[in-house]
Amino acid sequence: MFSSVIIKEMIYLDFSATTPLLPAVKKELLRIMELDLGNPSSLHSAGQTGKSLLNRARSEVAQLIEARPQSVIFTSGGSESNNTVIRTFEGCPIFVSAIEHPSVLHPAEAYGAPCTKIPVNQQGIIDINFLQTELEKTIIKDPKQKILVSVMLANNETGTIEPVAEVAQLIQDLKKSTHTKIYLHTDATQAVGKIPVSVKALNCDYLTFTSHKLGGPVGIAALYIRPGSPFKPLIMGGAQENKRRAGTSNVLLASGFKVAAQEAKKNLNKYQEVAKLRDYLAKEIKKKIPSAKIITPIEDKAIGPFELIKENSRISGGDYERARSMAGATRSASRSARLVDDGNQTEFFQARKEPIVCLPNILNISFPAAEGESTQLYLDLENIEVSTGSACASGDLEPSHVLMAMYHDAEIAHGSVRFSFGLTTTRAEIDELLAKLPPIIAKIQDLSTIKQGKS
Amino acid sequence: MSENHTAPKTANNWAYTDIVKDHFLNPRNFIMGDEAKWKADGEGLVGNPVCGDQMLVKIRVKNNKIADIGWKTYGCASAIASTSALSELAKGRTLENADKISAKEICDYLGGLPEHKFHCSVLGHQALHQAIKDYQSKHKE
Repeated sequence: MFSSVIIKEMIYLDFSATTPLLPAVKKELLRIMELDLGNPSSLHSAGQTGKSLLNRARSEVAQLIEARPQSVIFTSGGSESNNTVIRTFEGCPIFVSAIEHPSVLHPAEAYGAPCTKIPVNQQGIIDINFLQTELEKTIIKDPKQKILVSVMLANNETGTIEPVAEVAQLIQDLKKSTHTKIYLHTDATQAVGKIPVSVKALNCDYLTFTSHKLGGPVGIAALYIRPGSPFKPLIMGGAQENKRRAGTSNVLLASGFKVAAQEAKKNLNKYQEVAKLRDYLAKEIKKKIPSAKIITPIEDKAIGPFELIKENSRISGGDYERARSMAGATRSASRSARLVDDGNQTEFFQARKEPIVCLPNILNISFPAAEGESTQLYLDLENIEVSTGSACASGDLEPSHVLMAMYHDAEIAHGSVRFSFGLTTTRAEIDELLAKLPPIIAKIQDLSTIKQGKS
Repeated sequence: MSENHTAPKTANNWAYTDIVKDHFLNPRNFIMGDEAKWKADGEGLVGNPVCGDQMLVKIRVKNNKIADIGWKTYGCASAIASTSALSELAKGRTLENADKISAKEICDYLGGLPEHKFHCSVLGHQALHQAIKDYQSKHKE
């Protein structure tokens, strides 16, 4: 048929939006569809077969984030998982990063009392000092009220990894010294499957992740809830999901999610190769389009904290901030980052293996004077699929709040293009993109009222 | 593998009409290179890069008619296509007639635009209006 040929020609570089179903997932979905399952809540055999499939899925999905199955519930999507956590803290002070996904940001704005947004630097990394100061102020005002902090593990537009483990450490310290109940949620939707994610290492109370970013079906996601942490169901009704999420259990999609999770765990290491493709693309774009601005902080790998620390006997000011932000991005690095504070660089050095500040599969680049939707659509006509932070491409006509928080410059946001890769992305595809992109950008820049370098 | 329910990847999946696509791909009358070198009798600039759309329209006038029109646009596909369409609509018209071109006329010419695009990206006629006023103010005496 025609479609297989045409699809093959498409260069899909929008894996962070959604991923195609993995062949193993398709197979599993078809297998489950052939079974005549009952409702897993029913006690008869047909129901119990469904129930055992559901349990199996839960256990595999939980393993991906090193959680126990009973701490993980299925939801309809990452948005529902995020909303569920935020609504649990309705009327409480809620702290969120300024670059959260709208499904965290909007409910936090609606239900936080108040909602405080944590600013980010130009790498997209949250200002931990700001968070600490504001948390302390809030605690002094009323030490008895519950507080929620929600910081995503990796940003969906830039791929920047946030120092969530360090936020957890800060929360633990504050809890110890003030006895105020502070809880941590992290939206790990983009991070899971791309970098190792462990609820134990992160020490978080809630964690969101979803199936369709892993090659699983859309319509199912998970929420980790630490035993003992507050919880209010968003969807009330039946006793499904241990009374935490009503609605007939979706065995079909959960089974698809299960296989996607298994595959993700198996393939995690392969993302090192994807990072090489990303670095290659960034390097070549810079060569071919010198005005391009690389938004994703991949450059920092080359000049990572290693060098900074080695070269400077004392770390001060911005260098320290940078080093600390990056340290927080690696698992269990928070303690070592704190040691730097005491001037003990050796410990810091030893604790770090390699600076990781961004996901391996996202490259965000802004092209000056070239509006992103135009770039996206010209690329689409060449069968190359990407996404953009331009206002024109969004439903609400606002430029990307993520890039605005990082740069406070609408033009950078309008000109931004996100390339996101999967394990199937090839060097040949990147080369094809590299051949097509420069003339497109040149054409749009020529059409543009804005002169390059003028603004 | 069952292929029949996979949507084929064709331009028909676009949010825009074929006319919009054509004007986006092959913009008419736009000024190549430095717009300052394009000598004109009047010019108008509307929108701004912060909003994501900006249009520059320049006109050459002969016998009270738009003899030539050139433009630049920073913006999305619909902004580029609508300025291109405007230039086609305006060419050869008397200044009075050209000044009557509305956003709706541009939109109709393009075979329609998505609702949310109509308000923000169809600004070319305003730039033309400014260009005509600019010409008239220069030729009062």
